[in-house]
Amino acid sequence: MKQNPKLIAAVVVLAIVLLAAGPAFLPPFYVRVGQLMLYSAGLGLAWAILGGFAGYASFGHSAFIGIGAFAAGLVENQYSSLPPTLLLPLGLVTGALCCAILSAVIAYPILRLRGTFFAIAMLGVSHVGAELTNNIDFFQGALGLNFPPLAPAAMDPAVFYYELFLGGALLILLISWLIRRSRFGAGLFSIREDEDTARMLGVPTERYKRVAFVVSAVLTGLMGVIYAHSLGYITTDSVYRDDTNLSLIVYSLLGGMGTLFGPVIGAGLLVFITQVILGRLLDFHLFATGLLLVLLILIAPGGVNGLLHRKRRPA
Amino acid sequence: MSLLEVRGLSKNFRGLAAIGDVSFAIAEGSITSIIGPNGAGKSTLFNLITGYLAPSAGEVRFKDRRITGLATNRIAELGVARAFQIARPFRELSVFDNVRIGALFGKAGPRDVEATTRRALELASIAHLATQPASALTVGQLRHLEVARAIATRADLLLADEPCAGLNPTETAAMIDVLRQVRRNGVTVVLVEHDMPSVMEVSDRLLVLDAGRLIADGPPPVVANDPKVIAAYLGTPDAA
Repeated sequence: MKQNPKLIAAVVVLAIVLLAAGPAFLPPFYVRVGQLMLYSAGLGLAWAILGGFAGYASFGHSAFIGIGAFAAGLVENQYSSLPPTLLLPLGLVTGALCCAILSAVIAYPILRLRGTFFAIAMLGVSHVGAELTNNIDFFQGALGLNFPPLAPAAMDPAVFYYELFLGGALLILLISWLIRRSRFGAGLFSIREDEDTARMLGVPTERYKRVAFVVSAVLTGLMGVIYAHSLGYITTDSVYRDDTNLSLIVYSLLGGMGTLFGPVIGAGLLVFITQVILGRLLDFHLFATGLLLVLLILIAPGGVNGLLHRKRRPA
Repeated sequence: MSLLEVRGLSKNFRGLAAIGDVSFAIAEGSITSIIGPNGAGKSTLFNLITGYLAPSAGEVRFKDRRITGLATNRIAELGVARAFQIARPFRELSVFDNVRIGALFGKAGPRDVEATTRRALELASIAHLATQPASALTVGQLRHLEVARAIATRADLLLADEPCAGLNPTETAAMIDVLRQVRRNGVTVVLVEHDMPSVMEVSDRLLVLDAGRLIADGPPPVVANDPKVIAAYLGTPDAA
C-alpha cells in the first residue's frame, strides 16, 4: 500500500485538532458522551495490545482500572496539600506503578493458561481485586474514596476530563501503532496465530506475552486514574465493573479483532448505541451489549473492519 | 566437527520407551534421512532436539554446545529450525509476512529482514505467492511455506518432518529440488520421511529407527538392503 505520508500526517493532525476542539461546539450532554467514548476507546486499545495482538483475551481488565484508581486516590489523599498540577502526575505514576508490579507478579502463572482458561482466570483476578478493595479497610473501597478536584478554575471540569481522556486515548493509540510496526508486534501476532510455532521460530513467547500483559495493564490503569478523577468519588463498584470486563471484548469484536482502529470504532459505536440511541433505557445497557455480542459472533465475526475488508484480508 | 550430536538420548512416556539410548552425529552440509515404521519415535526425536520435549536421559549438542534443557526459542536462536509435517502457517498473515516472522526472529545476529525474506521465498519457489494469505494455499504450497519460513530464520540446521507426505509425484519432485537448494545454501538438512523413492534419491545417509532404537545407519543403498531394516518394515518370515 503506497500512501502519501504528508497527506496522512495532515489528516491525523486535523483529526486531533477537531477532536480537541470538539467540546467548544458540543452541547454538554455530548461532551459527556465524548468523554465516555474516548475513555472506552483508550481502554479498548489498551486491552487489544494483549487481547487483539497476542490473542490473549482478558475478561478481567477492570482489575487494572480498579488498582490504578485506588492506588492514585490513596496516594493523592495522603499528599492532598500538593498543588493540583503535581497531584495528577503523582496519581498517574502511582497507579501505573501499582498496575505494573501487580501485573508482572501474576503474569508468569496466569499467562501459562490459554484461551478461555486465561479469560476466566482474569475474571477471577478482577473479582479478587474487588473483594480485597471492599473488605480491607485501608483501601476504603466500601466507604468510598474522594478525589481532589483538579480542573483549573477557568475550565469546565467536563471539558477538562474530556481533554485528559483524549490525551490518554491518543497516547495508547500511538503506542499501539508503534507496537504494530515493531518486531515485538510481529512476535505478538505470531503468538496469536500459533504460539508453539512462534516459539519454534525463535520468538521469545514467554517474555513477549509478559511484556504485552504489563503494558496493557499499565495503560488500562492510566485510563482508570483519569476516570476516577472524572467521577470525583469512587467505591469498589464504580471501577471494578463486570460490564467493563465484557465491553472491552465487545469493542474489539465490534470494530475488528487485532486491528489498530478496531477497538476505537467498536468503543465509539457501542457508546453511541447505549448512551445516545438507548439513552433513555440505560437499564438495558447490559442487555444491549450482550445481544450485540451474540449478533456479532453470528453475523460478523470479523467486526466492522472485517465487513469493510471482506475481500482483502487485513495483514 | 559434526554440527549436531545426539548422545544416549532416551525418552520414556510413563515407562514406555519412545526413544531408547539413541546416539548419532550429523555432519555439516549433509542431508540425512531418519526413517522407520509408524511409532518408531521419529517425531519424538525431533521434539527432543528442538526442546519441545525434555529427554529422560542423554543430551543433544549443537555446534559443540549442549542444547538439552534450553527453551525452544533459545535453540532456534542458535540456528535450529523445524518444518512441521502438518503445515502450521500463521493463517491470518500473508505468505510474505509468514516468512518475515522467521527472518525477524530465528538465529541471533544481524540481518536484513526484507532481503532474507525474499531470498527464502525464492529458494522455496513460492515468491509468486508472497501477497496471498497463507489460508489460501494448497497443501503442497503450504509445505513450501513451512520450509521457506524455517530457512528465513537463517538456521544452520533444518529439521524437516515428512516434507513430502501426501504430495503427488510432481509436488514431491519440486520439494526434493527445494531441499537440494537449501543444502546448496549451506544448510544441513535432517529429514523424517516415509516416501522411500525420494529418501533414496536425496539423502547422503539413512538412519533407521525401530521401536525407539537406532537399528541401521549408512548410505541409502546399503541400509535399504539391510535384513534388520527389511524385518522392521515387513516383519521376519518366522514371526508371520
